[in-house]
This record gives sequence, structure tokens and C-alpha cells, in this order.
Amino acid sequence: MNKLQRKVVRDLAASKGLFLAVIMVIFLGVALFGASFIAYQNLRSSYDYTYERLRFADFTVKVVEAPTETVEELESIPGIEAVTGRMNVDIALGLPGEETRGVLARVISLPSDSRPAVNDVKVEEGSYFQEGEGNVLLVEKSFAEHHELKPEDTVFLTVDDQEISFRIAGIITSPEYIWPAKSRQEILASPETFGVVFVPQDTVSGLVGKPFINEFCFLIDEGADRDSIIAEVVGTLAPYEVMDVVTQEEQPSNAALEMDLEQFGEMARVFPLLFLIVGALATYILLSRIVHNQRAQIGLMRAVGYSRRQVLVHYQIFALVIGIIGAISGAIAGYFLSEALTNFYIGLLGLPFTRIETQWLAMGEGVLIGLLPCIIAGILPAYSASRLRPAEAMRTPPPATGRKILLERLFPFFTRLSSLWKIPLRNIFRNRRRSLYTVIGVTFGVSLILVSGGMIDSIYALLDVHFDKIQTYDAQVTFAQPQSTALVSEVKGWEGVEESEPILQVPTRLEHEDRVYSTLVIGLSPDSELYGLYSTGGDQVTVSEEGILLSEGLRKTLDIHVGETINVRSLPAVSQLEVVGFVKQTMGSFGYVTLHQAQSIAGDQDVISGILLNVEPQHADTIREKAYQIPATASVELTSETRKELDEMLDYAVSMLWIMLGFGAALALAIVFTTVTVNILERRREIATMRTLGESKTRIAAMATIENLLLGLAGLIPGIILGYALALYFFSLLQTDVFSFDLVIFSRTYVLTAGLVILIMLISQLPGIRQVNRLNLSQVIKEQVT
Amino acid sequence: MFKPASGEPGNFLLQLEDVSRTYQMGLMEVKALSHVTLNVVRGEFIVILGPSGSGKTTLLNLIGGIDSPSSGKITVDGIEITALDEKGLTFYRRHHIGFVFQFFNLIPTLTAKENVEFAAELVEKRRDVLEVLELVGLQERASHYPSELSGGEQQRVAIARAMVKDPPILLCDELTGELDFETGKHILAAMRRINEVNHKTVLLVTHNTAIGDIAHRVIRIRSGEIVEVRENPSPADPQELRW
Repeated sequence: MNKLQRKVVRDLAASKGLFLAVIMVIFLGVALFGASFIAYQNLRSSYDYTYERLRFADFTVKVVEAPTETVEELESIPGIEAVTGRMNVDIALGLPGEETRGVLARVISLPSDSRPAVNDVKVEEGSYFQEGEGNVLLVEKSFAEHHELKPEDTVFLTVDDQEISFRIAGIITSPEYIWPAKSRQEILASPETFGVVFVPQDTVSGLVGKPFINEFCFLIDEGADRDSIIAEVVGTLAPYEVMDVVTQEEQPSNAALEMDLEQFGEMARVFPLLFLIVGALATYILLSRIVHNQRAQIGLMRAVGYSRRQVLVHYQIFALVIGIIGAISGAIAGYFLSEALTNFYIGLLGLPFTRIETQWLAMGEGVLIGLLPCIIAGILPAYSASRLRPAEAMRTPPPATGRKILLERLFPFFTRLSSLWKIPLRNIFRNRRRSLYTVIGVTFGVSLILVSGGMIDSIYALLDVHFDKIQTYDAQVTFAQPQSTALVSEVKGWEGVEESEPILQVPTRLEHEDRVYSTLVIGLSPDSELYGLYSTGGDQVTVSEEGILLSEGLRKTLDIHVGETINVRSLPAVSQLEVVGFVKQTMGSFGYVTLHQAQSIAGDQDVISGILLNVEPQHADTIREKAYQIPATASVELTSETRKELDEMLDYAVSMLWIMLGFGAALALAIVFTTVTVNILERRREIATMRTLGESKTRIAAMATIENLLLGLAGLIPGIILGYALALYFFSLLQTDVFSFDLVIFSRTYVLTAGLVILIMLISQLPGIRQVNRLNLSQVIKEQVT
Repeated sequence: MFKPASGEPGNFLLQLEDVSRTYQMGLMEVKALSHVTLNVVRGEFIVILGPSGSGKTTLLNLIGGIDSPSSGKITVDGIEITALDEKGLTFYRRHHIGFVFQFFNLIPTLTAKENVEFAAELVEKRRDVLEVLELVGLQERASHYPSELSGGEQQRVAIARAMVKDPPILLCDELTGELDFETGKHILAAMRRINEVNHKTVLLVTHNTAIGDIAHRVIRIRSGEIVEVRENPSPADPQELRW
């Protein structure tokens, strides 16, 4: 090792605290990138692999009823690789040990003697149907886990008030229910009330009374034009009333996973970027300080005969060391974190197949994106070091510019301030660039904390709005088949029932010009108190006979405006309704009409599909048991339980956000520590002089604190604005017909963020203050002023 | 006593012809050196005297190639350094000049020996590091860091660092400025020894008039101009100096 290299090592050791802080920023940025980006890649390839292995449908067409022979006709359409025709019906399911409760089961038929050509399942436990088996079924894994169902257990399907027992042959995973969404409108379905089971085709025909197909799943040839194939399929199936066409992208489970993955991917790009910008700033600040402090050494090097290039390389090496250590250790940590993150995610979703590869390229990218900002940030200080003229470098520089700041000129009051305030204020303006970097560092730290905090707040706010303003009922009884409206008043007479209201959910297809959207139209009492509707302006509105209210998300999906007419197509009829307004929605996108209108859409029947209830809490369990005694009851959902389950489901998202918040706080700590320490250390001679003149350590610490706090406060406002803008950007990725998040940041989050950053500033200045308190005054005073 | 070569043009190691240097300080133009002409022969020990701000350090910096004149010509060992580009100047400093500064300018993170090696590594033809440290009486302190050395010891390390490249010219700026009287005398004695034993040409800048007695020639500068050149036929022994 030559002496120049040794000098690098010793200089690094002499300022190890500062170097470590900057290395930490790069490390965190690269680790965050590695962890999230590699996990993103792993998840993406695991999804793709799962879809490929289980032959996940390119698109699905739902019809009212088609004969089984239609499959062969569809197979002959050019470009179609495979077709599966199946039955998909919702039936009430009884579980062992939970006889008093039931759930709504999505019953999907599968061939009894072979595997389906499209949308296959993976048997995780037990076995697939054996030929000749009748009353057997396969249960989707997350539902089975929730209810602790095992192969050979018995469950019951209720058809026409008849309970038919089924043996569980196996526990399976399905590409369609990796995220077990009930529909695009009910993406967060609770396993308490909803599950998916697969039953042999012949058995389902027996249950519903005849063999037919109401769902066709298609795989198309590679490179084939999907849109034209869909058009041809829809034409072929027209006689059987096409209800919906769902492409792979629109398929609820895939759409939820995709949305989640895309947001994950976006965060994998944006968050590390913030870290690396801060890392570059911190590197620049640190190197500028080193070059500034080593002016005399640089002059000496040049005088002794070191070339400009040698000086440039020498100082660039500091940046390289920061970059290399930070980026490589970050990439390694990112790799291990990505494994943990991928396994956590995969375990959480219960993916049938996983494909985890060592993402050398992503790791390489991580190293590169960690290294580049450091190299770029190092160029300027290193270049300025190499351009220093030796004689000039060794000459005592003139004292730093000191003058009245603008504030003092504008407001004479400031000139009368004591030195305790005047010195920090002038220091801020004396080295404006340094002050600006501190402010930028605080800004980024605040924004990262605020984005994470804001997302946590918004999740809880969404649940609050959903359960406290929209679904204000305590319980909802859902029937497997439509029931008479008379049931509403009957249930109202039960002990403990405070309020009961009818609800009728009609599966429909909303059509406006060339745009269509399949969803439920919900019929409510015009004076409903248990289901709140709010206009986009926030005012409470009610359904009326004048027309239909649509969820806000449908404005864009259907490209429709208030006053325009929409076609509401249901199984028995097509109605034309005027759009009378748009309402806020948290989850799903629906149409809202009066009960009477809904009944007319459903074919002029005096029926309901469920009852909304407000109950006295102590009677909730009794009422649930009683509701299950109504033969057609498919499920009874207690809002308190659903909310608890949703809280649990969202816990993982919240825990991820807390991790991000921790990263934000670490970033703020590292950048603030660097700038604050540099701020203090750079003025060690000046501080020593003040001490020699009789200033107390406390007053000097107070001056440093005032200066840092003022800079911290200056960074708070832009930090809040940037954090809010970033949060808005991330939320824009979540605005779909499936979810509608409003960005909500509670006041306490602003206060806590500000408090946390101020605390970080106070803590991070301690090492610097301690160091200047230990100064050897006589030695520092004698030092050459450089 | 060692005698430098005779003052004939062929023996000139260093020639300054009508050299001026002006600095721009804000709106003000400061004339640091004005029309200086000077010839130095190989092996001479020259003391440049002058009050603070007289331009003596500027003169030293120009000879050392770490500053460039505004006008005039400087030739060292047959090389016209005023015509050299940055690369040429670096090469010149590396092989022809040894600097010793008032504030020592040692690298604080390197030991005494490493500080000397720091300069030695730049040239192929160099002296043995321990030998030059021995020459300045510091072989025992070789592994100490600057912070563990006295001012005199630090200055001796700086002299060893200048010597190790074996340059023909040593430029010393206020060599004893930071040292006490006794230490200062020891350092001056060391420089004299280097001049006599190693036949190095020494240019020593100081404001201390007494030091002029040990030189072959004393040059006085005031307001950037040479105001007096005095030959010293029998230079004094540094140990006899009083100030």
C-alpha cells in the first residue's frame, strides 16, 4: 500500500463516524432497492410460473346458460388453444362444528375423470377426484386453513333446503383464487363468510338439476389477437346471453395481485431513489468538508510533486469507498432481505408454485445505482481539490464572509438579538449551500416518514369510512336464493333487533355506449339508515326513483356523466336508468337504486337478497343463530367480526409500511447526523476561540441547537409538501374500480413526524457537540486556519 | 567551509529575469513582486530577508513552481519553468525542488517515516528514508505521528521529506518561524550541514535579520522589490547566532 492509499485509510478512520453515516444511507438505499426489487422480480416470476403451470385463463366468458356441447364449437375457433366449460354457482355451505353458522360457497365444477384444460388446480393435500366419486369436493387452501378443514372431513351444501354432505378429497390452490376475492367488487372477502370449493361436473349438474355451462375459460395461442378472438367467442355465445367477459388482467385475484405488485414495484423504484439522492448529497457534503479541511495538505501534495490527476483520484477514492462499501453491503443485505420478503409474501398468499432465482442482474443494478451517485457526488469536490493552486492552498484563506443577513437589514430588531441567536442565524446564511443541503436532507427524511405514516392513516381511515359511514349496519344476512320482503318485518320483531332494512343485490352488466362493466346493482330503502351514501362532495345522499347513483370509479370506467342514460342489463331484463349522481366508495364499484327499482331490474319480483340489521351487542350471537335457521340463509356477517378480520388482513400491509417508516427515520438520522456534525466540526476553531473568550459549553451547545433546529424547521414544510405529493402519487396507483383510497393524513401524524425529526436532529448533534466540548483549546487555536 | 561555484553564467542554477507578480484582490490589484532579476549559482545558501508582506514568500513560490509570474522569465537548471504547462510544472517540482514550510505541513494521519515516504514514492531516484531521517537526527522518532512530535521535530521531518527526493534546490519558508530559539538554531545548523555536505542550493526566506549571517548571500526585499544584495564572505556558524 503506497502512502497515498494509506492516507485514505487513515483519513477514513479519522472521520469514521461521518463516513459510516453516509455509507449507511447508501447501504439503506441499495438494501431497500435490492429487497423490494428482487422480491418484486421473484413474485412476478412466481405468478407467471404459477399461471403457466396451472394454465390460467387468458379470458373468461360468463353466460346465462349454454349446453355442454358448445365447448367443441368454441374449440374450433382459430387462435383458441383450449377451452374449459364449467358451472359456477354460489351455494350455502355448512361446516363441521359450525352448524349454527354458514358461509357462501363459490361452487365451481371440474371434470371428474380428468384435469381441466384451463384453470387447473394444484392439490396441496389429499387427492384429486377419483373416477366414479360423487359427493366429494376440493377446498381452496386459505379457506380450508381458516376453518381448519382437512381431507376426509365432511361439509354440507344446502340446495333447496336440503343439506347434502360432501367428503373433502383434497385441499387445493387455484390460479383464480390466489387472492381469494369474491368479485372485483368484493376484493377483500372474509373467509368467515366466503369460500371456494370445486365439485365434480356431474355432481354439480345433479345439484342444480341439469347439466349446463355458465362459464367458459379460454387459453389462446401465443401471438393470437385476443380482442378478435373474444369478439368471435361473444358472437358464438350470443344465443346464450353473454353476461360478462373477464380478461386475465380484469380477473379479480390477478387484478388485486397485479395492483399490489405494481405498487410494490413503484415503491421499489421511488423510495431507494430518495435514499440515493440523499446519499449523493451526504457524500458531497462530507467530501467538500474533507477537501476544505485538507487545503494545506492538497497544497503540499501539489508542491511536493503530486499531479492534478493523482489529487483528483485521491479524493475521488473517498467517494468510491463510500459507494463500494455501501453498495456491496447493501446489495448483499438486500438479497437476504428480498428472500425474507419473498418468503413472507409467498407464505402469506400461499402461492402454488414459486420461482426464486438469484437475481444477479438486479444485485448488479443495486451496486451500480449505489455507486453512481457517490462517484458523481465525489467528482465536484475531487475536481476542486485538483484545481487548487498549491501556493493558494497553503496560504491562509481570508476569513469567511460575515455580514448582516437580509433579516437584519429588513428588521432592525434582529440586530439587537444576543449572540446566542445572532451567531446561529448568520451561520445559516454564511454557508448557504451547506444550510440548503441540511434542509434538503430533512425534507427527504420528513417526506419518507410522512408517506409511510400517511398510508397507514389512509388504510385506517378507509376502514373507518367503510364501516362508520357507508356500511353502518351491525349485521348482514345474505340469502342463497331471493326471499320475500316480508322477512324484513319478521326479523325486526326478533329480540335485540333495533333496526332492519331490506337489500337486494342484482348481478348486472352496466352499459354505456361501447363501454360495459359487470357489477352488482344494490337496491336500498330510500330512507335507509344502515347503508350510507355520500356524494363526491361529501354530502349524504339517498337513492331515488329518478335514477341510479354510481360509484365514483365508474365515471371514468363507463365514461358517463350525470344526466346521461345507462343500460342496466340483468338476467331477466334490460332497464334504462338516468345517472343522477356519483357516490364515494371505498371498496368495489356499484350502482345504487331504490329497492323497488332493483326488484324491477330483477324481473318485477317482490324479493330481497339480504337484510341489514342493527342489533343490541349482547344479542348478536343469538340473532346470528336465529338467522341461520332461515333455510335460505347463506351467511350472516357481523360487521364487528368482518372489521376485525380486515384489520388482520391489512396488518401485513401496515407492518410493511412501518418498516418503510423506520427506513425513513434512519435516513433522516443519517443525513441530519452528517450535515449537523460537519456544521459543528467545521467551526471547531471558531468554537475554540469562543470558549477561550469565556463562552460556556452550554451556550455553545445552545447555539448549535438553535442553528440546527432552525434548519430542521425550514426542512419540515417542504418535507410535508413533498411527502404529501409522493403519497398522492402512490395513491393514484391505487385508484381503480376495486379500491378507492382517499389520502388521509391525521393531524397527529404531522405532529409526530415533526416531533420525530426534531428529536432526530437533537440526537444527531450530540456527537458533534461532545467532540467540540473536548477540544484541546490551545492546540486548535494554533492550527493553521484552513 | 563549503564554497559555492563561481558566479559565472555557466554556473547559474537559477535565473530570474524581470519577474513580476500581481494579484487581484477584489477590485484592488496587489503588486506582490516587481521586476525582480536574480541569479543563483549551484551550492549557494541564500537568505531572503524582508518584512511581512514584502513578497519574499511569493518569490519562493514562483521559484518552486507553485505559482506563476505575471511577467518575466524563470530558468532553473536550464529549464525555463515559466514556459512549462501544469504537467511540466508537476514534473519540475517532483524532481528539482524540496519545500520546507513554516507550518511544517505534515500529513497528520501519517507517521514521521510515512510522511517522508509520501514524497519519496514520487521519484525513482531517491535517498534512503531512514538515512535522511538520521541526517536530521530523527531516526528514533520515525514511527511517531506529527501530534506526538515537538515543533522542532516536525520541522526536521519536513526537512527530511524535502531531502529524500534528492532535489538540487531546497526552498525554506520561515523555517524557524514556529520554533523556539534553541530549536531554531538546531534546524538552521541542519540546513547548513545539508548545504555543505550534500551541496544543495538553499533559499531561505525569513523576516529574522540575524539569520542572514549564516548565508553566502543575503537578499533584502521590500514592497516586492530587491532593495539590497549583500555578499557574506565568511558566513557565521548557526550555533553562534543571537536574536
